[in-house]
Order: sequence, then C-alpha cells, then structure tokens
Amino acid sequence: MSEPAIRIKDLTKDFRIGVRGVKLRAVDNLSLDIYDNQIFGLLGPNGCGKSTTMKIVLGLLEPTRGECSIYGVGSHSVKSRVNVGFLPEAPYFYKFLSGRELVRYYARICGVAKSEINDRTEEVLKLVSMENAAHRRVGTYSKGMLQRIGIAQALVHDPKLVVLDEPTAGVDPIGSHAIAELIVALKERGKTVMLCSHLLAQVEGVCDRVAIMSRGKLVLEGGVDELLEKEDERSLIVGDYNPEAQKEIEAVLEKYGAQLRKVEAPRISLDRLFLQHTDGSAIGSGQDVSDKEGKQ
Amino acid sequence: MPLDRDSWFFRTGRKAVINFTALFLVGLAASPLQKRSWGEVRTFQPELNLQDVESALGQGIVIGLLGGFRTLLADFVYLRANYYWEKYDRPNTEALLGLTSSIDPRPMYFWLNGARMIAYDIPVWRIREKGAWEDVPEFYRKEIYREQVDRAMKMLDRAEKFHPDDMRLPLEKARIYYDKVNDYEKAAENYKRAIDLPNAPYYAHRIYANALDKAGHPREAYNFLKNRWFTMDHTNRGAMPEVVLERIRELEARLDTPFIERLPPQPGETEEQFNLSPFGESTISRQGEVNFNIAPATPDPAPAHDHDHDHGHDHNHDH
Amino acid sequence: MSAPGRIGLIARNTFLEAVRQKFFNVLVVLSIAMIASANFFRQFDFGSSELKFIADFGMGAIFLFGSILSVVVTAQLFFSEIENRTALTMLAKPVYRWEFIVGKFLGVFIVLFAFVTLMLALLAAVLYWRESGLMNIHPEDFEDGRLVNYLGIVELAFSELLKFGVLAAITMLIASFSNTNLYTVVLSFFVMVICQLQYIARDNWSDLDNPLLRGLVWFLSLLFPNFQMFNVGEQLIFPTHDATLSTGGYLGIIAYGSIYICMLLGLSAYSFRNREI
Repeated sequence: MSEPAIRIKDLTKDFRIGVRGVKLRAVDNLSLDIYDNQIFGLLGPNGCGKSTTMKIVLGLLEPTRGECSIYGVGSHSVKSRVNVGFLPEAPYFYKFLSGRELVRYYARICGVAKSEINDRTEEVLKLVSMENAAHRRVGTYSKGMLQRIGIAQALVHDPKLVVLDEPTAGVDPIGSHAIAELIVALKERGKTVMLCSHLLAQVEGVCDRVAIMSRGKLVLEGGVDELLEKEDERSLIVGDYNPEAQKEIEAVLEKYGAQLRKVEAPRISLDRLFLQHTDGSAIGSGQDVSDKEGKQ
Repeated sequence: MPLDRDSWFFRTGRKAVINFTALFLVGLAASPLQKRSWGEVRTFQPELNLQDVESALGQGIVIGLLGGFRTLLADFVYLRANYYWEKYDRPNTEALLGLTSSIDPRPMYFWLNGARMIAYDIPVWRIREKGAWEDVPEFYRKEIYREQVDRAMKMLDRAEKFHPDDMRLPLEKARIYYDKVNDYEKAAENYKRAIDLPNAPYYAHRIYANALDKAGHPREAYNFLKNRWFTMDHTNRGAMPEVVLERIRELEARLDTPFIERLPPQPGETEEQFNLSPFGESTISRQGEVNFNIAPATPDPAPAHDHDHDHGHDHNHDH
Repeated sequence: MSAPGRIGLIARNTFLEAVRQKFFNVLVVLSIAMIASANFFRQFDFGSSELKFIADFGMGAIFLFGSILSVVVTAQLFFSEIENRTALTMLAKPVYRWEFIVGKFLGVFIVLFAFVTLMLALLAAVLYWRESGLMNIHPEDFEDGRLVNYLGIVELAFSELLKFGVLAAITMLIASFSNTNLYTVVLSFFVMVICQLQYIARDNWSDLDNPLLRGLVWFLSLLFPNFQMFNVGEQLIFPTHDATLSTGGYLGIIAYGSIYICMLLGLSAYSFRNREI
C-alpha cells in the first residue's frame, strides 16, 4: 500500500506553563494513520488534544516526541504542506480584503500558476456558493460565510489533503448541512479529508472513519459503521401501524428465539425538520441586498 | 539544583544570550563603519553643556535634548524668548536667550539676535522703566547702555568659542561698541578682527577706518584706506569705491597730507578738483573742518556724506 | 512560487492592510500641521532663518511621528496576524517563517517609505515656497543663491527611511517573542530611547576608571545601534562650509542602517521559528 495521507507515530506534546515550565501533556503517545480518499473524523471534547494534533501535523507546533508526516514528507518540512488545504477553527481572515481577493491571495501564495488563478478562484467560489458575495469585504461576512470562504481558500490550490478544524462550529443547521455535503463532494473528487470536531452528531453521517480522543489519548478508532452498528439488532419501520399486527409479529419473533425490545414512533431530527421548512437553495448566502441590486 | 532545560529561566536566558551575543557581534563588526560616520556626524554636534541647561529645564527635557530633539527644543525656547521680548520682560528674555544658545550653540542666528536684543532693545526698556527718555539723566542712560553692552559682549564671547572663524561675531561686537557706547577703540579692534577673517563684507573695511579715525588714529585710518584702495575690487558695486575715495580725500585734506604723498587723481575725478602744483589748493574741504588752504573754498560739489550710511543695514531682528 | 515572490505577496498584503486600515490619515493631519506651522513662523520676522525654523519643526514632526508609526504599525500589523489567527492560515501554507517575517517587515517598510517621501516632499515644497518669498524680501541673505539644498532632502529621505527601518526591525524582533501588542510597543519605545542616548556611553566608556564598569558600558554601547548617526538632517538641508556631510559619511550611515536591519530581521526570524502560534 502507498504512503498514508497522514501518518502520526508515537506523538507526544507537552506544553510548558509558568516560570518553572510545568508540563501539561496535551497529546500522549498518539499513533494514527489516515489513508487516501477517506473522510476521517478526529473527535473528542474540547481540550482533548485534537487541535494540538492537527497543528503538529501542519507543522505549526513542534512535537515533544514522535513524528508526523504527510504523504511521506515530515511535518517539520515546509514542503509537506504543498498538498494540504487547511481551514482553521473559527477562521478570521484579512478583513480588509474582499472574499475574491482573499482567495486569489492564498492561491498565489500556494503557487497556483498565474494563468490558472482566475479560473481556480471562480471555481472554488462557486463550489462553496460564495460567488455572489465574493466582492464584499471579509469583515462583513457572517460566520457561515467565513467558514465557506475559508474552505474556498483551503481548496484553491487543489490539494490532495484537506484539513478542517471544527468546520461546523457556530454555523447554523443549514450551513452545517451544506458544509457536510461539500465534504462528501470532496471525497468524490478523490480528496482526503481530515476533520476535527466536538459536534459528534454532525459528523456522524459524513465520516468514513473516526478516532476519538480523550485527555490526549486515543481511546477508540475505526470505521463509523463498524463502531456504531449493533451486530444482532435491527429496527423495522412499519407503515399503517396496527397494534393487533404487533402481537402477531411478537409471536412469530418468539418462535425464532428473538425478542421485540422496543416500540416507538420514529422521529425525524430537529435539523431535518428545520431543513425541510427552510429554503435550501438560499443556504448560507445571507441577505445580500447589494448583490441583488447590483445584478439588476 | 540541576539545570531544568525546560524552565522559563533557561529558555528565556538562552534566547537572551543568543540575541545579545548576535547584537554585540554586529555592533563590534559595524564599529569601524560607525566610527567613520559617527566621527563625522559628531563634529556637527558640539558638546552639550549640561550644567547650563539642567537647572533650567529639568531631567525629562534634558533626556529629550540628548535624545535628538536638541534643535527643536532650542527653537521652542527661542520662540518663547521672543514671546517675552514682545512683553518687554527683561529677565525672562535674557534668561531664555542664554538658554537657547546653550541648548544649541550652532545657529549663528541665535547668538546675533540674542546679542542685539540685549544691547539694542533692553536698554530702551530699562530707560523707559525709569521714566521718559529726556527725564532720565544722561549719565544714567549711558550706564544702562554700558551694562547691557557688557552682557551682549559676554554672550558673543561665548559664541566665539563655538565659531572662532566666523567674522559675523567680531563684526557684531564692533557694531555694538560703535553705535551703542561709542567705544571706537574697541570697535576698531573688532572691525580689524572681522576683516582679517574670510568673507568679511566691504563695508566693514570702510567703517574700520571710520572707527580708527574716531578713536583718534586718523593717520592709521588714512593709511589703511589708501592701501585698501589699491587692493580692492573697483568693479564691485558693493565695495563702493567712490565712497572710499571720498574718505581718502577727506582725510588727506584734514591731515594736510603733502600732495606728493596723496593718492594720485583717479578716473572720474575732474582735473580741476586737483591742483598738483606744490602750492596749489585742494578744493576738497568740508564745512566746519579746519581748512588749511589759503584760497577761499569753492562751493563744495559733494553733498555732506553720512559716513556710515550703510551701517547696520541688516538689523533684521526688529519685529 | 519562489521565496521572493511569496515575500513580495506578503509585503503587498501588509501594505494594503495598512492603507485600508487608514494609517495614512495621520499623514493628512501632519501635512496640515506642517503647512500651518510654516505660516505661523511668518508672523516673526526671522529673515532667512525662518527656513531653519520650518525645517527644524518639519524634521522634528517627521522624527516624532515616524518613530511612532514605525513602532505602532509594525506591532499592530504583526499582532493582527497572530490575534486574528491569520498567521495560522498563512503558515499552514507552504510558507517559511522567515519569509513571513521578512514579508511583514517589507510591508511596513513600504508604509514608512510612503510616509517619509510624502512628508519630506511636502517639507521641500513648503521650504521652496517660503524661500522664494524670502528671496524677494531679504535678497541680501540669498546673494549666493538658494540656501536650501533640495538634493540633500532626497538624500535625507533615504537616511530617515533607514533609521525608521531599523526601529521597525527592532520592533519586529521584540514582537517575535513577546505575547502582547502593548508590551511590544512599550519595550520598543524604551529601546528606541536607549538607541537615541547610547552615543553617550559610546563616547565616554574610555573615561571610566573602574574597569568592570568600563567593560559593561563598552558592552552596552555596542549592543544597541546608534540612532544619533542618522541625525544629519540639518547638514543635508543647509550644508555650510564647516558642516557638510561627506559622501563617504553618508554611505556609511546607509550601510550601517542596512546591516542592522538585516541582522535584526535574522534574529526575528530565528526567534519566530519556534514560536507556538
């Protein structure tokens, strides 16, 4: 098998705090491989070390022990970041730039050829449905728009690996739904996605594999399906429910040595209810009056 | 205690040592360069006499002075002195003028105008304080002028320490002695010093002769002017050759110089003005002067000439 | 993309930030103040010395506001990256940390260049206007032609720029290891005062008797750059026979400033290399 997208080996990170340099262990002997074309979720509560791990992978922090590499290139090397797009947590970008200027700026920094910059910029702006707000200063964007312009800048140089830190934190359900769809679309384009989140429910439907961290340690890792499914249980959803029929079904189940454990009315999630009752096509683009007026 | 390589002290100390060492080494490496340039720049900035300014200004401003705001502060103090000058406030004006030149002794402007205010303007205020001009006895007026001129001279003496080769300082002294206390001996002495320095103006030569004459050395004045006549640039209007010639003739007449020793007739002088026969008469004479000639004087063709008409033409301190 | 290309981009972006954050409004205020002060001096009859007063106050204003701008803009533009976490995004790209530091510095340097050139151009214009006026009123002061050396103002622009550049580089070094904007600004001004005054130690260490103290003063005098070296405005604008800066002296000043800028930036990059962002 080829090099994994991200390889983390025996990673430990201590922070020195105070005058005497008291140690605070943020990451404790973590080993993890993330393979190509996966959506990998690094999950856990606040302060469990996921962001620290991510920063070390990106070369923003130096590990105390252990090593990280991206496609076989050590994280300490600037070259390892050529194929990486990164969306930081709660991103703030240069407020004095417009969305388009911002994406173009990062495209040039990442070395996108001059002839391609325009096309690439428009493509990613379209991908995150920000083309109508791209002329506005970043300072005027809502949180969801910031998140999406952040994804645009992370994708503009067409990286193989995309790292997203809390991509849905603070974003409304419509926004997070759109982001989730975007992440799945990225996988379809052959990208590898690593995302960090503490909003477990939101990433559940997106991730192929997850790792759960607690107090700096890896406590669980595996495919989402294999971790969540109970092998010997199934739920049946019945239309035109009839209590008489239920009794007969129970009898049949008993005959095969199985039991009916629970009967309940299925509920849809509040998120889904919200999405059904809101205009999905307007997701996150906000009320941009000047946009509409400008287009007249 | 073992050295904890992770302690704040160790990390910060290491950083500090690396930075300081690097900066020190650069300082050392750049020191020939800095010696060359700073050596030159420093000559533009005379040593600051801290004792002079510290008591007047206080610590904070002294740091500003040392820190490169010297010129600006001198300007401020000078403007302040001008403010008091407008208010006829003698102690403050004099104190601030002195302070200005202590802070920045480089600009000649501060010295010259300071001395002028002290010698020309302040006596007038002091006399006015005593009453109307006519009511103040003359000896008292003279005494005030003498005092103020002494102060101005002290200031200009200090100035000469910083600008030993600048003719404007002895020139200013001479002018003050001449005009304000009529001390022609000292005036002549200073005019002489001024004209011996480079770039002295033409009029300084003429007035030097006047001062010598008034101090009771007319012969020296005559000899000086005669020499001057042969060495001066006659084509330059500023040299005013006609005035020099006029003075020469006047002195010749007054000293009754034998014709053979006199300056020969010059272009522009009419023949009839001169009678070169040994017993002839000179037509150059002046009213009120002893006339050695026997023949009655012909009417004086030249108007009475103010001997120092161009004197003090640049008293530009008057507001 | 090559390193100079990335540095250029970061510098351009930094400059753009300064422009769009309206740092340049201070220029408008200063320009008005400069013209007003030139008018103020007309009420005194200083003769040709009026030009000296205008130049002194103009250069004083440039020094004062230039120093403030060098320190505050550098600290502000650096910490806005750290505090807004834009540095995080930037450094997660294939960008070396030294490129980031140098790019930021160059951005500030362009701001300072704009400040110095605009202010000195305005000063030159004001001096020219007043000088032309004074030549009519006091022709005797101008017998040898104009008093102001306008070419010297051009030279002064570069030496002033280098001085502010050294100050900005000092600020960058302090910012590279300090945690807050305020601390950086305060410490930078403190260091600036030392650099302004260090010539006293430099000129006097050899007079001290105590060998220990002598060594210490000598060490300190070499630790900080000598800002008084750049104090040549008067000699450049009004050269006289006994106070004219030689070409060698001028080039020495330029070289001195350049060496210090490079060195300080190197140290900033070194100190920023391991910084946790």
